[in-house]
Amino acid sequence: MNSVVSSVAAISIIYIVLIFFIAWYAHHRKETGRSIISNPIIYSLSLGVYCTSWTFFGSVGKAATTGIDFLMIYLGPSLTAFSWLFLLRRIVKISKEHNITSIADFLSQRYGKSPWLGALVTTIAFLGIMPYIALQLKAVSTSFFLLSGVPQDPTAFVKIGSTTTIPIALMLALTLALFSIIFGARRLVSSERHEGLIAAVAFESMVKLVALLVVGLFVTYGLFDGFTDIFDRFLATNPEKFSQLFTFNTSKSDPNYISTFTLLFLSMGAIMLLPRQFHVMVIENSDERHIATAMWLFPVYLFLINLFVMPIAIGGILTTGSSSGADYFVLSLPQSAGYRSIALLAFLGGFSAAAGMVMVESIAISTMLLNHIFMPIIVSCTPRSWFPTLLINLKRFGIVLVVLLGYFYYQMIGDSYTLVNMGLISFSAAAQFMPAMLGGLYWKRGNKAGAISGILLGFMVWLYTLLLPSFSKSGWIPDTLLSNGPFGITLLKPTELFGLTGMDLWSHSLFWSMLFNISSYIICSILLNQNEQERDQAHKFIGVFGGDESHRRTERKRLSKPVTTEQFVILMSKFIGETEARQSLAQYARGREISGDGSVSEFELPDLKRFTEKTLAGSVGGAAARTIVNHFLSDIGSSMEPVYDIFSSVRTNLDQNRESLFVRLRASEIITRTLDLHIIMDDLLRLLVKEFRFDIALIIAKNEAGSFSVSSIQGEDLQATNMPHWYLENVPFLHLVYRDKKAHFINDLRHEHAVPTLDRTVAEGFISCAHIPIYREGEPVIAVLSLFSKSIAGLFTKEFIELLSSLAGQLAQAITIVHEIEAKQLERSQKEAALLQTARITRDMEIAQQIQKSFLPDSAPIIAGIDIAGRCISAAHVGGDYYDFLLRSDRVVDIVIADVSGHSVGAALVMSEVRTLLRSEANSGRTPSTVLETLNDQLHDDLTRAELFITMFYAKYNSDTGILNYSNAGHNHPLLQRRDASLSMELDTEGLILGVKKSVLFEERSVKLTNGDILLFYTDGLTEACNSEGTMFDISGVYDHLKTCTHLPATEIIDSFYAKVHEFTGSQNLQDDISLVVVKIL
Amino acid sequence: MRRLLIQITHRMQLRESWLIFFILGIIMMTFPFLHIFNKPVLLFGLPLLFLYFTAGWIISIIVIYLFMLANRNESKSTDEKNKI
Repeated sequence: MNSVVSSVAAISIIYIVLIFFIAWYAHHRKETGRSIISNPIIYSLSLGVYCTSWTFFGSVGKAATTGIDFLMIYLGPSLTAFSWLFLLRRIVKISKEHNITSIADFLSQRYGKSPWLGALVTTIAFLGIMPYIALQLKAVSTSFFLLSGVPQDPTAFVKIGSTTTIPIALMLALTLALFSIIFGARRLVSSERHEGLIAAVAFESMVKLVALLVVGLFVTYGLFDGFTDIFDRFLATNPEKFSQLFTFNTSKSDPNYISTFTLLFLSMGAIMLLPRQFHVMVIENSDERHIATAMWLFPVYLFLINLFVMPIAIGGILTTGSSSGADYFVLSLPQSAGYRSIALLAFLGGFSAAAGMVMVESIAISTMLLNHIFMPIIVSCTPRSWFPTLLINLKRFGIVLVVLLGYFYYQMIGDSYTLVNMGLISFSAAAQFMPAMLGGLYWKRGNKAGAISGILLGFMVWLYTLLLPSFSKSGWIPDTLLSNGPFGITLLKPTELFGLTGMDLWSHSLFWSMLFNISSYIICSILLNQNEQERDQAHKFIGVFGGDESHRRTERKRLSKPVTTEQFVILMSKFIGETEARQSLAQYARGREISGDGSVSEFELPDLKRFTEKTLAGSVGGAAARTIVNHFLSDIGSSMEPVYDIFSSVRTNLDQNRESLFVRLRASEIITRTLDLHIIMDDLLRLLVKEFRFDIALIIAKNEAGSFSVSSIQGEDLQATNMPHWYLENVPFLHLVYRDKKAHFINDLRHEHAVPTLDRTVAEGFISCAHIPIYREGEPVIAVLSLFSKSIAGLFTKEFIELLSSLAGQLAQAITIVHEIEAKQLERSQKEAALLQTARITRDMEIAQQIQKSFLPDSAPIIAGIDIAGRCISAAHVGGDYYDFLLRSDRVVDIVIADVSGHSVGAALVMSEVRTLLRSEANSGRTPSTVLETLNDQLHDDLTRAELFITMFYAKYNSDTGILNYSNAGHNHPLLQRRDASLSMELDTEGLILGVKKSVLFEERSVKLTNGDILLFYTDGLTEACNSEGTMFDISGVYDHLKTCTHLPATEIIDSFYAKVHEFTGSQNLQDDISLVVVKIL
Repeated sequence: MRRLLIQITHRMQLRESWLIFFILGIIMMTFPFLHIFNKPVLLFGLPLLFLYFTAGWIISIIVIYLFMLANRNESKSTDEKNKI
């Protein structure tokens, strides 16, 4: 006997070691980064923790006693699997986002991180699960003794002597607790996945499935001849029992569909709501995509594990003749048939089922206990350095406590119920979470009051109608309570509450508990309002599939006193250890605005606070984490205070809300209304002061000297404020703004110690201020917008600063535009002045031209024997050409042609001087050379001063002698065309240009003219006339043309020359003046 | 045949289809339907109710499997769309 016991014990121990090894291996793989757990098949198998020893042994028991309705417990989860794609995925997503550690944490966080709700859920789970754990211990120890053969009658259900049971069941309990501690409470971070544990659970799921299939095949095809054989025989031998097991007909009344539905409903809820199911499904889920596979694989698992339950049950009844002890048919059938190895496998299967359940359940419950029962007490104390150690040990203690309480429950009332009944008590308890859970996921109004009252009422009804009768059956409570009701009030009989009879225990309890639960949840949720925290959390939970950022509520809170990153690290270290704290913060800091010295931008602070809360929540649960952080903040004198919400109305998205749009609109109206910058600035400041209740608003610009001057100022009560007194303190900020083009602001001058200090500003009563640069992107700062408020701390939120910056940008745009317009106007007036100047010059020119023209002789003198003519055609501008005929006597005429360099009034004046000088010598009998010499001497000083010079040809003709005396001062040589067309010559003498040098001698020559000779005097305009190709008319052109027109009178020769030049240049406009004098000897 | 399958999987991407099957499943598990099969007789050598549940269960698993396939195709195609 003892050898059998010890061999079974030895195999059990070997099996435990094997599981331990698998768990260790999986854990090791995870540590080295090659997880074997993260795959959908393992995930589906781990969900198989649903099938406990209750399934393994109890299903057959229920099948053999009440019949086929046991299947409901597995059909329910199969149906629920339909909803997983949205329901479970949603829960998993939310849980990952909020570092949720258990179902209690989930509900507590959803309903405003309520510690009370967390504690309530934990209590219910803790009490509700005790029978379930007891059931496991009972099943394993009973099966152990069945296998080892201690009871003489293997099919009898016997209470085994306490002297032998205690060590085995207790040892089993302690072993499982130890295992749970090693793989489930190694570290404090409960939101972390336990891969070793899951590997063990998945392996156990495999073992129990194989074991049950082997037993099923053995019974169906070994002991009998297949399914049909079993059913045929059963119908033949016991048709009454057949009818009872394969229909819902009870022996006494109508078909009982209500209990069928109750089972279905309970199991549908249990698959998601039992703490261990929530744990493996949600907390241990490594990838959302695994859910899709689990949706069909898990029902397949359930199907397979239940396929042979009915044949085994019927086989057992046929073999043993009754259904007593049917709970252990799985074990006893092979055992009694002599197949010990199959019986041993069945034992291991049952053991696996129990072990997996106890481990996961105890870890899940101990996490809940730690976070929702112990933690609220601990966090009210000051954090100490040994807190992490205390916390992890409390968690380990929780595991042991859960397992041991289950053990004591089993010791006390374990034998009075069958396995299925004990399991259903737990299912009913878990069902109480359903309304709050579903409502929490899909109904925004669902609130804390509703959840707490609903769960509490449901729980109380459960306690009264289900747990109480179970105690009463074990003899703890007098039977009279059940049969007569408390104090003899039959209406309050726990099993027939308010006179509701005719229902089975479960349906009755479910009906009343759900009625109270759901109605209280709904009524309280509708009647009572949510507080802000609840609304916030509800939004986060329900909006999780809303997708994009813009729909999220932004944080409307700020920390009244800034906290450094380091302070948060120290806080976290106290609960999760320093290494972990630093690690998680380093992860958080990546890609955020946190500088090396640990200072954080003010807008990041609420985020950082939330992150700290979330990290702590991963270890101590949401409600406790919130309490811890709030305690910490109040200790350092900071608190979360609501941001003064400028944009109080409903936000459509972050930056486009009604107020901001209104202000933007008004601002753009102000800016476009006028071009007067002072009015724009004043109006804009007035708008800001009025809309946002600033006390002082200024625009300050840096002047050329580098000091600041106020461009505009507006305020509520300007007189009362002694401006320069306090304002000078802010100048360093202005420099800062000019330098980095960023808005600088202080949200609470009383708490934040600005550098430099703003004592006088504070003394004036200001509590917040901001300096915003006015500039256009990519351009230097034009001015600074400074805003001060005496009444509102925390005014400057991220959105508000953005709005102000954008207004400042608009203002900068306006200023730039005004400046541009001013610059354009200046340019235009300069242009006008220039035009005027040009016009004046043109007028000058015209006058000069008039003067010049007037100097030229109106007509040629009439001298016998010669035909003389002269003309000047000027170009567009003033020319310096000059010719004159000076009649010395009847017979003598002086002909002069000159060209003054330059085309200005100055040249014209010089010309007039020349003319005066020449005329004054009218009757002197000087020769041409002396005339030029005198002229040169007289003009030299003037010409040098005016930087001008003159070319001149001077000729004196005596018609009596026909002699022409001439001298040249650098002028073009006149042409002499003799009557004979082939004879022509240039008249040339030595002589320097006038005005170059004083006392120049001019050569004088003479030539005898005869009848028909033609003299042509000209200026350089003639020879230098160019055609469009750039060729000049040239002296050769003059010769050629002169030959052709010797027969014409002098005037016509001149005409023909002009015509020829126009023809040559192809234009009516001359490039230069052309003066021509023609003398024809008759 | 293939086209039919594609069409079916396409329909199954609809959320409504899920809900309909879920509700249908619950209806099949309650009074009127159960009453039809609530007879102590053997069909093909198996108890009628046992046969009903077993067959129904297999069918429901197949339906979920198809759903999953449909959904996987859908997420794949959206992945591809995203890539493009």
